[in-house]
This record gives sequence, structure tokens and C-alpha cells, in this order.
Amino acid sequence: MSNVFWCTNCLNMSTRPRVSFDSRGWCNACQWMEEKRTLDWGARQQELRTLLHRHKSPNGRFDCVTTVSGGKDGSYVSYNVQHVHGMNPLAITVTPALALEIGNRNLRNFIDSGYNHLQVNADPTVMRILNREGFLLTGFPYFGWLMAMQAAPIRLAVNLGVNLIFYGEDGEVEYGGSTALKNKAIYDIDFMRKIYLEGGQDKVLKASNLPIEKLFFFMFPTEAELAGRTLEIAHWSYFESWDPYRNYLTAKEHCGLEEADASNSGTFTNFAQNDQALYALHTYVMYLKFGFGRATQDVGIEIRRGAMDREQGVQLVKLYDGHYPEEYIDLYLDYYGMTRAEFDAALDRWANTELFEKKSGRWTPTFEVQ
Amino acid sequence: MTSVKKRLIFTLLFNEDRFMLSRNFRLQQVGDIGWLEKNYNFRETALSIDELVILNVERNRESSERFRFHTQRLNDDCFVPIAAGGGVRSVDDARALLRSGADKVVINSILDSDPMSVEELASEFGSQCLVASVDAKRVDGVIRPFVENGSRLVDATLGEYLTRIANLPIGELYLNSMDRDGTGQGYDLELLDCLPDGLQVPVILAGGAGKPEHFSAALSDPRVDAVATAHLFNFVGNALELSRQRLLNDGMNLAKWNSQHLKRLASIL
Amino acid sequence: MSDAVVVIDYGMGNLFSVESALRYLGAEVTLSADPEVVESARQVILPGVGSFRLAMERLTARHLDEAIQRFVTRGDQLLGICLGMQLLGTASSEDGETAGLGIIPNRVDRFDDLLGVKVPHVGFNSITPSTASGLFANLPLSPDFYFVHSYRLAVNGMTSPHATCEYGETFLAAFDVGNVRGTQFHPEKSQSNGLQVLQNFLAA
Repeated sequence: MSNVFWCTNCLNMSTRPRVSFDSRGWCNACQWMEEKRTLDWGARQQELRTLLHRHKSPNGRFDCVTTVSGGKDGSYVSYNVQHVHGMNPLAITVTPALALEIGNRNLRNFIDSGYNHLQVNADPTVMRILNREGFLLTGFPYFGWLMAMQAAPIRLAVNLGVNLIFYGEDGEVEYGGSTALKNKAIYDIDFMRKIYLEGGQDKVLKASNLPIEKLFFFMFPTEAELAGRTLEIAHWSYFESWDPYRNYLTAKEHCGLEEADASNSGTFTNFAQNDQALYALHTYVMYLKFGFGRATQDVGIEIRRGAMDREQGVQLVKLYDGHYPEEYIDLYLDYYGMTRAEFDAALDRWANTELFEKKSGRWTPTFEVQ
Repeated sequence: MTSVKKRLIFTLLFNEDRFMLSRNFRLQQVGDIGWLEKNYNFRETALSIDELVILNVERNRESSERFRFHTQRLNDDCFVPIAAGGGVRSVDDARALLRSGADKVVINSILDSDPMSVEELASEFGSQCLVASVDAKRVDGVIRPFVENGSRLVDATLGEYLTRIANLPIGELYLNSMDRDGTGQGYDLELLDCLPDGLQVPVILAGGAGKPEHFSAALSDPRVDAVATAHLFNFVGNALELSRQRLLNDGMNLAKWNSQHLKRLASIL
Repeated sequence: MSDAVVVIDYGMGNLFSVESALRYLGAEVTLSADPEVVESARQVILPGVGSFRLAMERLTARHLDEAIQRFVTRGDQLLGICLGMQLLGTASSEDGETAGLGIIPNRVDRFDDLLGVKVPHVGFNSITPSTASGLFANLPLSPDFYFVHSYRLAVNGMTSPHATCEYGETFLAAFDVGNVRGTQFHPEKSQSNGLQVLQNFLAA
């Protein structure tokens, strides 16, 4: 426990998977923030234009796919691709389980602001099984959706003859983690399997015991399907300095984004991750595994964009982080078909006992943020 | 030569029993008075600020009584001046606030819609009791004033509007940037360029503070007499105390007092 | 005769803040507009915010002016705050010349616009007491207090214990004359320094 430490700039914790720190104690997300200030974005913008030009459709077909949820990031990318760069994107959403009312509204507002859009509703009963297995085996409560979110847009793109797919940011580089994509725009399915799905896909699929015909939206295209295509999967954060707050402002102005009335579970923001109820559980499990939750992530974003200093961040983390999603419990139990005891036992699996101890039935930190 | 100090002001936005965070004038609920007392330990926080502003941002009039209750409650822990406002239209509205513990009344929409009532308020309570609050943002590149909780554009530039209201019997000017509101991007110092020459009243700048550096940047400008923040998240816990300490250590001309001394005086008789 | 401090309620002044501060210090407080209650008290506070003329009219209409005079003559403790302090003077030029209670020989006039300072004087400013005892005991050097006023009492060469403040000119910030005290600043709004001054008054 005593070798746990925090970024000296932003409060990212040393337990964060794949995070690294420099001699000042700054995590790689903060180092990247500094680099972004002097990076030659002009050159990268040129690369973007070249990439887009290569894919631009001469005959009115969709020339790229953007992945959206109705939230600020996908909306920002779609807005830029369509209105700033004049491409013909198809925006694709994979419907999550336990979608929130405000998420649905925001998706509707996004579409209504003028986009071609495809909504993938993977069989919810299948998604539920995969979510449940994912929760039990990997600690990702929405693992099924995560698989579909990565795989389905690619499958559809391939079927529609589109070879360019934009995801928003590479969270590893932006928020602390692997720096593999810092200077690389394009990545591949292997990377997604290994990093974004943390290698858990095979194990979850096996445990689900589902036949392949149920899994079209949850599995990446095969080698055979991809033969003869140069599929390019890119993260927008390579081409432009990624700024979640700026994305929020743009989405508000151009895509009808609305905020929640009050802070979201486990944090102080109301304008991010508003689409699904399982996100609160995801960040709670993350908290149990690593010692940091949603508030820590949001604080990091605020500190890095200069809106808050570290001392202030500490107060907010102490106030909001690690919130047990009491307000959603009944929803979760019903969804997973678990009793409270089974659910808590599933959570117990993930609690890092070097960081937490159980007091009155609740995991409480044995560390103090500093 | 004057040794009047600059001020650090905290603004609370009240709506239906909840205190709110505002971002570009969109409201997010934060917590009720219990939350405030617990997380701001209001007795402690009040020791770090020069003044408290409480604004009722509720869009309907029924909240007045609840608002006055909260004003009174906050007054109990607070040995600095309190300015209260939100929907003040008449002498009666003002009197009700003053009797609830406010020392000053904040007026906004009536500066534009009913200047006569401003004269009435001044003659009843004194002009030093009136804080003129102006909300402004850029429209097509020009800074313009808004009234009615930022919903109605006034037919003037900010400069013209400020010149007009400077001629009314007001005590202070609370100038708020709608563009920067709640963004944590720092104050909009360009608003100060719209101040009329020879303005006779102190200027309180508001809108955009996220961290202590923002206070220093604004207070260093000679046109700014006070800074206000309504950022209920960023200054939670002892952040205001630390901000004040940092400002004083950097030589900023703020008032000094002793919190330990104040605590020792409790129930001393 | 009650032990409670009486705060005169004549419809002007932030009574609740004064009351709150006094209670914080552990004093019993009575708010009253009744001249008899005022007269029979041992300690009285005269608050005030707003127009001098209106204040004098109200005090006179309720016979509180007489009650205050008799109270002072008897030798019990009086504290005037802000406008309340000004009312103890001889006269004020606010709203046309108005006579005050004349308990101290200083008059009240507006800050001169030509002094190059903004009027009203608003905010915390430091005072210089002439002594470190009585009303001014236990205060740090150059203590800060909250002022909000456009009119002020001239110092007029006062020799009794008093405090001055600089704002374009030197004016009378407080005085401690026998059993009569006054503060231009608001002690109930001046954090630790203000409460100390109130405490000094209560202990007199």
C-alpha cells in the first residue's frame, strides 16, 4: 500500500494500468498535455486532409464512419468531419444496456441537428449475457456493449464499403496509459482487442456459451472478410489537440447537447458520460480495482485544461470519488438477475485488498489521496 | 491615497432549496444547505472571504420565502457583509431581503426595465446598499448586456449600458461574464474595457474563476476592486482559505484577520 | 434593569447581523423600538444604514431620541454603528442639513468627489486607533474593518480615544468617549477584528 503514489500534477494514480511517470512525478497524460502545446498540429492536420482525401467518395457514398453515443466526443468528431472537412460520414451508435433518458435525448438531438445515422441494437438478451459474464470475469460491467462498440461499427463499415473509421480519443494517451498511439493515427483490431478490451474477449465469449450466429455485432470481422481492404481505424485525438471541454462546448452549440440536472454519480460533472446507467458501476469497479474513480478522472481533465489546481482537485476527489452507485442498485440487480448478496460478492472479487478494507459492508480506502 | 483593500467574494446561486453551479448560465444542482454546511464548513469558509453574495436564480417568484430563510441561515455563520438578490423589483422586495440578514441588495433587470425604482430604492435604503449586477456576453463579436437571468438582450453595447447605469444611484458594480461563467477558464478582462471613464463605484468582476491564479490575475488589474466566484465545486473544502493565503503571500492587498482569534471569541461571556 | 443588550429597532439597519454577532459572543440580546426598554437597559446599540434625515425623523417620531439622550446622561454604555455613529454627531449635510443627536461635537459630511477616490467607501480598510485599550483593546496593528458609507464624521481634533482611517482624507473611524462609543465600520461584518470590538464594548 505504501508504494502507491499520485501524479504530482493531476492526481492520476500509480495503480492505473500502463501509466508511466517522469522524474518530476508527472504522469504521461500530463506530459502529453505539455507536448500538445508545442506540437506541430499543422503537420498533423495535413495528414488528416491527406487521409480524408484518400477516402473521399466521388459518388455520394458514405466515405467514413464516426462512432457516436449522442455525447460530446462523438458529436464533436462528427461535426468536424462533416462540416469542417466536408466528408460524408455515417454516424453509428451501438445502443447500450440501461440507456439513460438524457442519453436518448442527446442522441436524438445529435441526429436532428443533421446527420446520417445508424443505430445498432445488438440483441439485448445477448448483450445482457455478455455484460454479465464480463462483469464476473473481467470486472467490466458492460463488457458486452464494449465489444459491440468496438466491433459493430467496423463490421458495418466493411459491409458498406467504408474503409475509414474514426473513434474519438485514444484514452490511453489522453488520460494516462499506453503511449503506443501517441504518434500514430491508425491502429488495428489487434490493438483494440489487446488494449481496449484488455484481452478479455475470448474468455467472455467462451463463458457465455453463445453460438456464433448470435454474435455478429460482438465480434470483429475475420481476416477473410478484411482481405483486400485497407481498413483504417483512426483516433481523432491524433490529428487535433484533444480537449473534452471544447468538445462539450461544440456539442452544445451545434448538436443540441444537454447536461444532466445534477452531478453524475461519483463525480461533480454533469456533461459527460450521460448515456448509460452501467457507467456508474464501471467506475465504481474501477475504484475498487485501482483506488481511483470517476471524480479523479474528471479532476485530471480539469487540471490539465487549466481550470483547477491540484489542491482543489484533492478536495473534490475526497468528496466524490468512489461513490457506491446506490441509486442504481435495484436496476443492476434486476438487469443481471442477481441477488444483492451475489452482486456484492461479484464486487468483492475486484476490490484490491491492499488499498481497501471492508467496514460495515462497504469497501473503504486505507489510503488517503495526496 | 487609499488603503481600502481588494476583496475576494463568494457567490452562491440558489434555486428551489438547492445551491447550484452555473456554466454559461445553464444550472447544475450541487446540494442543499446541509451539503453546503458540511462540505464548505460554512463557518470556516466565511473566514476566508470578504463578502458573500447570494442570488436567487429561480425563475418563479414563489421561492422568495425559502430564499429569505436561507439568507438568514447563512447570515448566522457569517461575519462579513452579505448581498442578496434575484428578482428584486420593488422596495418591498428589497426590504424583505434586508430584514432577512442581507446588508446589500443586488439588482439586475430593473436597471434596464425600471430605472425609477432604482431611484426609489436608493432614496429608501441609500445608494451604497445597491449592487448593480450586469451580465454580458459576446454577440457577433460585440460585448452586449443581458437581463432576466441572461435571457433578454438589452438594446445597447455593454459600454453604453454601463454608462447609462453609472448615472443611477448605485453603490457597486458586479460585472459578470456569461461567456466565461462556470468554465474555469479565467475572468474575461476585456469586459473592463467597457467601463465608463471616471466610474465612481467599485467594480466586482465575476465569471470564469476556476483556480486561485485567476483571482491574482484579475485583482492585479487596477480597474478591479473585487473578484467574485460562484464555482461551488472548485472551491470546496478549504480551497478558499488556501486561495486567500496564497494571495496574501503574493502581496495582494486583501484584508487580514485572525480566524483563531474569531473562534476564541465564541461564547466568551 | 435587564442584563440583555438592547439593539434599537427603528426600521433601519441590519439588526439580525448585529444580534447574531452578539449572540456568538454569548450576550443576551433584545431588539426594541420601545423608549422605555431603551432607557432601562445597561448597554444599548444604535445601528443604522441609509439616510440620516430619515433616521432622525424615525427616532424623533418614536421618542427614541429623548430616550437615548437620557440613557447617555445617566452614564450607561452606548455604541453607535455606521449611520448610528453618525447620528450621535451634531448635524449632517445628507439630504439637506439635518440636526443629529449632538452627543459628540463632530459633524457629518460627504466624501469630497475631488479626493480622487470612489464614493461610497466600500470594503475593508485599516484604522489607526489612538490607544490600545477600551474599545480598541486586543486588536492587531492596523486592523481591517468593513466600511460602507458615502458620508463620514470629521476628526475635528478629537482628543478622547478614537481611531482614524485614510480614504482620500483622514476621517473619524471610531471613537470611545466616556460611556459613548461609535464605529463607522460594521463590527458585526468585520470578522475577528469586529467581534473583538463588540466584545470590548460588552465588557465595558
